[in-house]
Amino acid sequence: MTSSSPLLSVRDLEISFRTGGREIPVVRDLSFDLSAGETLGIVGESGCGKSITALSLIGLVPSPPGRVSKGQILLNGEDIVTAGEDRLTRIRGNEISMVFQEPMTSLNPVYTVGEQIAETARAHFGSSRAEAWDRAIEMLKLVGIPSPEQRAHNYPHQLSGGMRQRVMIAIALVCEPKVLIADEPTTALDVTVQAQIFDLFRELQRKIKAAIILITHDIGVVAQMCDRVMVMYAGRKIEEGPVRSFIRDPRHPYTRGLISCIPKLSRDPSDTPEPLFEIPGVVPSPADLAELKGCAFAPRCNRAINECQLHSPALTPLGSDRAVACLRQEEIPA
Amino acid sequence: MSVTDTTPPVAATAGKPLPKPVSPSRQVWQMFRQNHSAMIGLFILFAIIVISIIGPSLYTVSPRDMVWMPLTPPGQSEYLLGTDYLGRDLLAGLINGGRVTITIGFSAAVLTILIGVTIGALAGFFGGRIDNVLMRVTEFFQVLPNLLFAMVVVMLFSPSLINIAIAIGIVSWTSTARLTRAEFLKIREMDYVKAERSIGAGNARLIWKVILPNAAPPLIVVAALSIGSAILFEAGLSFLGLSDPNAMSWGRMIGDNRPYILDSSWGVTFPGIAIFLTVLAISLVGDGLNDAINPKLRQR
Amino acid sequence: MLTGLLRKLANAVLLLFAVLVLNFALIHIAPGDPVEALVGEMGGATPELIAELRESFGLDQPLYVQIGHYLGRVLQGDLGYSTYYDQPVTHLIAERIGPTLLLVTVALLWAIVIGTILGVFSAQRRNSWISHLVTVLSLAGFSAPVFWIGIMLILLLSVAYPILPISGMTSTETATSTIGYILDVAHHLVLPALTLGLIYLAFYSRLSRTSMLEVLETDYVRTARAKGLPKRLVIYKHALRNAVLPVVTFAGLQFGQVISGAVLVETVFAWPGLGTLAFESILRRDTPTLLGILFFSALMVVVMNLLTDVIYRRIDPRIKAT
Repeated sequence: MTSSSPLLSVRDLEISFRTGGREIPVVRDLSFDLSAGETLGIVGESGCGKSITALSLIGLVPSPPGRVSKGQILLNGEDIVTAGEDRLTRIRGNEISMVFQEPMTSLNPVYTVGEQIAETARAHFGSSRAEAWDRAIEMLKLVGIPSPEQRAHNYPHQLSGGMRQRVMIAIALVCEPKVLIADEPTTALDVTVQAQIFDLFRELQRKIKAAIILITHDIGVVAQMCDRVMVMYAGRKIEEGPVRSFIRDPRHPYTRGLISCIPKLSRDPSDTPEPLFEIPGVVPSPADLAELKGCAFAPRCNRAINECQLHSPALTPLGSDRAVACLRQEEIPA
Repeated sequence: MSVTDTTPPVAATAGKPLPKPVSPSRQVWQMFRQNHSAMIGLFILFAIIVISIIGPSLYTVSPRDMVWMPLTPPGQSEYLLGTDYLGRDLLAGLINGGRVTITIGFSAAVLTILIGVTIGALAGFFGGRIDNVLMRVTEFFQVLPNLLFAMVVVMLFSPSLINIAIAIGIVSWTSTARLTRAEFLKIREMDYVKAERSIGAGNARLIWKVILPNAAPPLIVVAALSIGSAILFEAGLSFLGLSDPNAMSWGRMIGDNRPYILDSSWGVTFPGIAIFLTVLAISLVGDGLNDAINPKLRQR
Repeated sequence: MLTGLLRKLANAVLLLFAVLVLNFALIHIAPGDPVEALVGEMGGATPELIAELRESFGLDQPLYVQIGHYLGRVLQGDLGYSTYYDQPVTHLIAERIGPTLLLVTVALLWAIVIGTILGVFSAQRRNSWISHLVTVLSLAGFSAPVFWIGIMLILLLSVAYPILPISGMTSTETATSTIGYILDVAHHLVLPALTLGLIYLAFYSRLSRTSMLEVLETDYVRTARAKGLPKRLVIYKHALRNAVLPVVTFAGLQFGQVISGAVLVETVFAWPGLGTLAFESILRRDTPTLLGILFFSALMVVVMNLLTDVIYRRIDPRIKAT
């Protein structure tokens, strides 16, 4: 996978927001690659910059106040950051699509779901109304909606949350994009529906062969779905690697914390359950980060030493396919 | 993404002594003070009120007597703004009319708020059948074209200042009632209200001491703006000839001078500017209050 | 859907019934009854004549009988008799309703169309001159008395630059052709419709801006952009359709106030509609006519509300389902 040139390559990305006359970076020094057919998980607490990174990949950072202030986002070698609005319009939904977190509000209430799928096909393929409508019904069938011919005439409010998210996925996949970004696609749904949606993702990935970027804060989902994981904290990448080593041997204290947050089930009912682990404190705000010299996680880290407060650790390669940004990573026992 | 979130993380403030709490009204005032147009509005409003109160005793020309040649343009006599079709001093009319206009504006607004808040609060607090009946009543008053209804009331009961204020109050309260009801419905379900109820607070206490103070901010804005509407309303009524025959008001001046606009544009222009400035000032103050109470809506 | 509309219809009938009861009550609560007024106009009468008059008006009967009679008459299309015009009130209203509807419709239409366009544009460019114009307009429109704006426009466009007629609906010279007549009325309509519309332009430009700003922030607009629709479609298909929903609601709800505004504007421009009739009946103390206009206006408001409801059901699919 690493030998061929990546499908999507993010280089030294910085995204900033202007607040109160200052421009404050919320994502910094972010680089990562995505190969065709691969599933990359991006993990982190809310406010770590995951969602805004995802939006930047389709040129939708809300502007003003935000903008991509440094770096490149290369899709097959073409920079999305400098691409014009016309070009972006052709990329969005066609080469890169996105499924959002909120299926209840992400569909337009005044148009039928069939129309909302069909118009995407019309916009990108210039299909006729009849062709696009047939395509919409085909897509509804593909995402597992029963009696798609009738459902296509439904308005979003007539569908359940899970159904709506399936429609969102149908919209995202109607043009068979190369990259599908899913930003916490199941957070708003019931657990059983969650499982169905992820099954659908896997199945569709086989059929359409899209690369997926899955943004989540659920380690369990990552373990099930992803090939590779990238952990973000306070706007930076702090650890990256294949999903197995990530789960088995997390190197960054923050990653270890995230993994220990998962409740462990014991087979023996007489066992007293371990108290649930919790990382103390909260993610510092971007404004505070701008003034922070050291590691952003240091204030919450139980292994922090004085040096951690002084300079921010660089991302260091660890073996052939991993990297971590922690001064003390070598000292941390496996 | 909470990129605009400037509150420091909990960890940073822990240990430090908490800053002295600022009272909400003070906070609103601090926000308000930074709003230039609202402060200008407040200043204009203040000036108009002061002139209306002490003006008549400083400028003693009678607004009702003929003092000069009728239809004298401004600046051509000792009467600065000229005279109207009966040779009455326009400036005296403006100064004296302000008193009437503002008094009716304020008292009608008070009545509007009183009726609106009472009905809205009862409907929102008790809900059910009471809500149903009160909302029907509200709907009924919304169906009546407000100016026509006020015209009927004033005509049937003689156009005294009190009757005019009452008529304006009766036709203007519906939107206040709807807003109050919505606020009450929302606040009624809050935990602190349930807590008060659980420790045995009576309905009166819940309505007055618990819910109303929390519903007050948007109501204050509406109250401010309803003074402006009441002034416009009064102007409309007196323009149609429904004004107290013993009192000079700005709207009446426009109505009186309208047939003579071809000979004297100033007779209608100045009172109109007076109304416009007063209501504009009130709108600016109202918008400023709204922004100060509700900073999130600022860009709208 | 049908049951929803039927319920609304029943409610509307109930409301109109209440307006009639109010009308009846107003006549009775008001100091001085019609007979006294009539006697006053005649310059006095003998007690026998007064009693006879009372009987002829049905005033000697108990209240519930009187109200029954009153309602019965209204149901037969009798809104009373104007003593001043010496005509049934319904005739007067029928004569005047056309000009009022013309004025109100034209004024509301241009205000809503231009207001929505201004609001939509200014929502997209928050600091552009259009946005500032909307702010200034909405402040000025709310603060200036509509009748005064009318007079100022007369001074500007009929006196200083005499391009538009001062008042009335037609010129005194009779038009020779239908087209000539239409053009003449249109010429006279410009100023009153401009005046009445300005107030609502202020309102609708602000309303549609607020609404558009809200809609532009919604998730479904983000979805529309994320799926690669051209900007034109994002704004005019996905955002606008949702942003006009409150505009439609208010257009219906505000109709009563538009009629009130029309009273003032018609009076300023001597436009021969219901408003001028209302103004004249105040001058003549012609209570039956004024109450007739009040009832008829309420009827128009109720009809408008029902119409809005129907339109709303067409453009917002969420209502249909419930």
